[in-house]
Amino acid sequence: MRLPARDGEAIDRTQTRTFTFDGKQVEAYAGDTIGSALYADGRRIFTRSFKYHRPRGLSCAAGNCAGCLMEVDGEPSVKVCTRPVEGGEVVRSQTISGSLERDPMRVVDHVGGPVTPVGFYYRLGIRPKVAWPHIERMLRRMTGLGRVGEGPAKERRSDVENRQIDVLVIGAGRSGQEAAARHAAEGKGVILVDERAEYASLAIEGVEVIAPGTALGVYEGKLVPVHADGLLYRVRAKKIVVATGAIDQPLLFDGNDLPGVMTPSAVHRLVGLWSIRPGVRAVVLAADEAADQAAELLREAGTLVVETIDLRAARQPRVKASAKRGVLAAVEIDGRKIACDLLVASAGRQPAYSLLAQSGAGVTYDAEKGIFAPDQLVEGIEAVGSVTGDGAAVLATPEGAGRRAFVCPCEDVTAKDLVRAVGEGFEDIEIAKRYTTVTMGPCQGRLCHLHSVRALARATGVGEEALGTTTARPPWQPTPLGDVGGRRLNPGKRTALHDVHKRAGASYVWTGVWRRPDHYGDAAAEIRAVHEGVGLMDVSTLGKLYVSGPDAEAFLDGVFPNRISTLKIDRVRYGIFNTESGRIIDDGTIIRVGENDYLVTTSSGGVDQVYEAFLLWIAERELRVDIVNVSGALSAVSLSGPRAREVLARVTDVDVTGEAFKFLDVRQGPVAGMPALLMRIGFLGELGYEIHFPSASAEHVWDALMAAGAEFGIVPLGVEALKALRLEKGHIIVGIDTDSETTMLECGMGPMIAWDKGEFIGNEALGRINERGADRALVGFVADALPNEGTAILVGGEVGGRVTSARRSAVSGQVIGLAYVPADLGEEGAAFELDLGEGRRGAAKVHIGAFYDPDGERMRG
Amino acid sequence: MKDLLRPGRMWRTGLPLKKRYDVVIIGGGVQGLATAYYLAKNHGITDVAVLEKSYIGSGGSGRNTAIVRSNYRTPEGASFYQASLDLYDDLSAELDFNIMLTKRGVLSLAHSERALATATERASVNQKLGIDSRVIGLDEVRRRVPALNTSDDVTWPVMGALLHPGGAILRHDAVVWGYGRGADRRGVEIHPFTEVTGLDTSGDRVTKIRTSRGDIEAGTVLSATAGWSSGICKMVGLRLPMKTYVLQAFVTEPIRPLLVETVVSTQMRLYVHQTTRGELVAGAEAEPYPTYQGRSTLTFIESISRYLVELFPAIRDVGILRTWSGLCDVTPDYSPIIDRTPLSNFIVSAGWGTYGFKAAPIVGVTVAKMIATDRVDPLIEPFGLQRFTTDRLVSEAASAAMSH
Repeated sequence: MRLPARDGEAIDRTQTRTFTFDGKQVEAYAGDTIGSALYADGRRIFTRSFKYHRPRGLSCAAGNCAGCLMEVDGEPSVKVCTRPVEGGEVVRSQTISGSLERDPMRVVDHVGGPVTPVGFYYRLGIRPKVAWPHIERMLRRMTGLGRVGEGPAKERRSDVENRQIDVLVIGAGRSGQEAAARHAAEGKGVILVDERAEYASLAIEGVEVIAPGTALGVYEGKLVPVHADGLLYRVRAKKIVVATGAIDQPLLFDGNDLPGVMTPSAVHRLVGLWSIRPGVRAVVLAADEAADQAAELLREAGTLVVETIDLRAARQPRVKASAKRGVLAAVEIDGRKIACDLLVASAGRQPAYSLLAQSGAGVTYDAEKGIFAPDQLVEGIEAVGSVTGDGAAVLATPEGAGRRAFVCPCEDVTAKDLVRAVGEGFEDIEIAKRYTTVTMGPCQGRLCHLHSVRALARATGVGEEALGTTTARPPWQPTPLGDVGGRRLNPGKRTALHDVHKRAGASYVWTGVWRRPDHYGDAAAEIRAVHEGVGLMDVSTLGKLYVSGPDAEAFLDGVFPNRISTLKIDRVRYGIFNTESGRIIDDGTIIRVGENDYLVTTSSGGVDQVYEAFLLWIAERELRVDIVNVSGALSAVSLSGPRAREVLARVTDVDVTGEAFKFLDVRQGPVAGMPALLMRIGFLGELGYEIHFPSASAEHVWDALMAAGAEFGIVPLGVEALKALRLEKGHIIVGIDTDSETTMLECGMGPMIAWDKGEFIGNEALGRINERGADRALVGFVADALPNEGTAILVGGEVGGRVTSARRSAVSGQVIGLAYVPADLGEEGAAFELDLGEGRRGAAKVHIGAFYDPDGERMRG
Repeated sequence: MKDLLRPGRMWRTGLPLKKRYDVVIIGGGVQGLATAYYLAKNHGITDVAVLEKSYIGSGGSGRNTAIVRSNYRTPEGASFYQASLDLYDDLSAELDFNIMLTKRGVLSLAHSERALATATERASVNQKLGIDSRVIGLDEVRRRVPALNTSDDVTWPVMGALLHPGGAILRHDAVVWGYGRGADRRGVEIHPFTEVTGLDTSGDRVTKIRTSRGDIEAGTVLSATAGWSSGICKMVGLRLPMKTYVLQAFVTEPIRPLLVETVVSTQMRLYVHQTTRGELVAGAEAEPYPTYQGRSTLTFIESISRYLVELFPAIRDVGILRTWSGLCDVTPDYSPIIDRTPLSNFIVSAGWGTYGFKAAPIVGVTVAKMIATDRVDPLIEPFGLQRFTTDRLVSEAASAAMSH
């Protein structure tokens, strides 16, 4: 029932809003929460419990328990007691099979008891073995709190904001507000957050208030994520003040979870914030001042307080609450039955220390007050108010609280369950938690952690201090995945020529973090162009490291297995990057541009790893070498095909005749007027040039080359063409044809290794493998069927390796590919089979060397 | 039924520590307890003590995301894990304790050609060993997992998947407790809150085990301490080729059934399943820097949330309930180390990375056999220490859901 206007109420009676609950319209004021509006409307049963499907209602009205969980606009398990009404929400009940009033699953509660004690499911469903999958399916249908994927889902955007501030105060109660004001008065920047919406209009000089804003945890480096409406703030504060207060703990007695049983905080909020009379006839069991005040408020609100019992004065009486139609109807006190529809009860208040514990503070048990309180705070973190233990205390737990005295209402765990767990041997708080599931529900221990430790202490005879607490972990409140994840931002790298490819109709593909053109509509035509005319490929994704210094040559000689000291200026050489254990991690080229100056290229995905490794090696050996990562600064293209020379001649005055610019030569000079580095290499198997130039001029250079090549039928080339063309030449692609174990010796690259030059990365491991011989070989093959890449190869019916690359050759029409075979099969003509799946086999023969132009004449011409 | 109504004690508690045992197992996780169980059951060796520094199952055994599968990439790995799955299949009956093993199937999503190639390879190897494992196309993925976003409107669109119908989920604590009870019933002593603080050696033997409750001696010592293995091995001067990383996981509020299969995405570095209770349990890859500090990180929960919501848009509003972490000891080839050591009476089972729980039964059986008979079962022969010097690594990087 809504009371007449009161001073300090949080509702604005001039603004009405409506929402629907299970299809029925409900009226509310601005400032109401969905829970308060439903309560004012007369609703008492809000949801049903997880295991026993017992009726539950507003118990704390403060967002701590699981008594009011409902689905709001498709969002499951919302604590409606703290969710402000905006208007228009579609609210639905959850965790029920019939209706909130009549849930047939309730039978589990009535029958359950003796047959479903804690851990019962570990003893059921063992035999026969075939029964368990069916039982499991049945259990699956019975569990779960909320629905997803049905009903209206409101489109919501979430974002993330980084904030840095001098002081972050968590909790806007009296102590928090005081601390915030104090720091602001000292000239510090202050953010004050509170998970309750009613503080949204709080105004303190010099303080930024974020409410509702839930501090989810305290992470390393005092990082505090604050979950606000549609926004996740990542707050880094120099100082954190925790003022999260203390939480009313339920009193343990039979029926303590019934709708109608409330904590003092619920009364304070219902009357004080929303001007709602919580009940008609009330009994108050008072454990602290808050309860005394609640009794006063009730009288003000017109509730008849028929009985007040001071739990501090005498021992806790035997209390048993009973219901009619699922709602509190009477309470028995030491056998004396009192009719009532409201029972205000709590055992006292326990500090909400979780954030402090997460930050590294210690937690100790104060036996006198009966609470766990924080101590030994870490540097930069303070605590004020009742979270420190000041003004907080919880009465001793009475003996024998009754069969339906719930320690953990979220998980339907009773005191008896805990005692039983101890009896079975689960004596430690952590293992008892896992066995009984106490504290593992939506409240994550707020209402049950203390009671469960007490119950264990009593049952084991070990003190609370010795038993300790379970680990405090984030998030403080259940937080929607979508709000923590923020906006979907997956950075993909693009080259400076991205728009050019787009305009040319490229079909994109991911290569690692790069977006690259797979083809431009006709990969076969692209391949043909390279063999017969000319093609242009964007290879800007290559890693490019500028290596210079007096020790550059020695450094590179120590990195690569082949000899770098013999690399002359203006020459390029292919190189392999190995690990210390001789495994290939990347490949690339080394270009000598000066006495002490080199450009080292890596594969598109490998540059970060190689760059870091280089820096480490240089530091370890204390070499005088500088590395500049110019991967982004330089763009690059590969101009390939028999007409490539003619095209290049039109855009540069560098002498590109065969005599002047030989295979593996490097030149520098303008291309289309832009400074460029040119080299003749042949990854694609035809006459080819790799041209590097500043990224700022990329589009210009590309356009110039395309224009110059127009009369030769130049086409842009995509990744698919690249893969097919290099396969014709038997060139490996690191990461496709190599795995974490591949060594150069398996790939026929043994001759590249300069064994006599002294130490280089991986020389010891490679030496050992060379001595005993590699187990497998990566070889080319021809086959009569096209296998999927990754297909196993069979030797004598047994798996002997796998296919790494395979295509139908555009030149010969044959199926060609690369595969790992046992080393003794690594000879020309050796036969093996392809496992094509479903019992089908293909016939393959090893082919050593390139499939196309084996002597490389077209490349070197 | 009697067991249901009056369960009785799971194990003895408060046992005093004797001066000597035939076998001392350091580590009261699932592997240590399984080994103790099979020592007693298969070999009649019961003078065994399991020393656990906290409560049993407090390490990786209680923190993993409870997925058991055998769809590994190498014949050695796949056959090893399949042998374990075969034991898991009958484990509830064996232990007379319901470990709630449910074969929901595991779907390893492929988001690129390369991934499909790896999946094809794994399927080939698996099928040759008789493991039901096959590559399925996008249509079948859609049919099986309606909640999965198979549209192009994701960062890395799904192209297909490796389906492993035999992959299962279970209640990880139940396996620990079941093995613990089974071992205890057969006379094994379980000593929680008993920390090994030092190991004395003389010649090639461990002569003394120093613990927080006194010093003891043992005929044979087994270290089954997973993430703490490096520390234990350091006590005997043994350095294993491992790095220890922190791995995190989280659980959501329970929701109505949405997901049947376990879904793995190496591209998005995550794996997720829905428990019988309705919670979603998900984990990702380890943080890439070695550490023992188990504090939860924000970067973990942010990135996994983002990717999960991308894959399953319907769970956008489902609440994260709790995050936690554990340790992973990782070897260069992402395969374990199960071997005797240069010390004649010291055996290690280590390097278990993200794949220790699924192997517990087979490790228990084979290590018990090694302790009791000095014989190395062919299944664990590939995982000896010598492979690092003879270069015969069992490379499982792709299948271990750890890309670094």
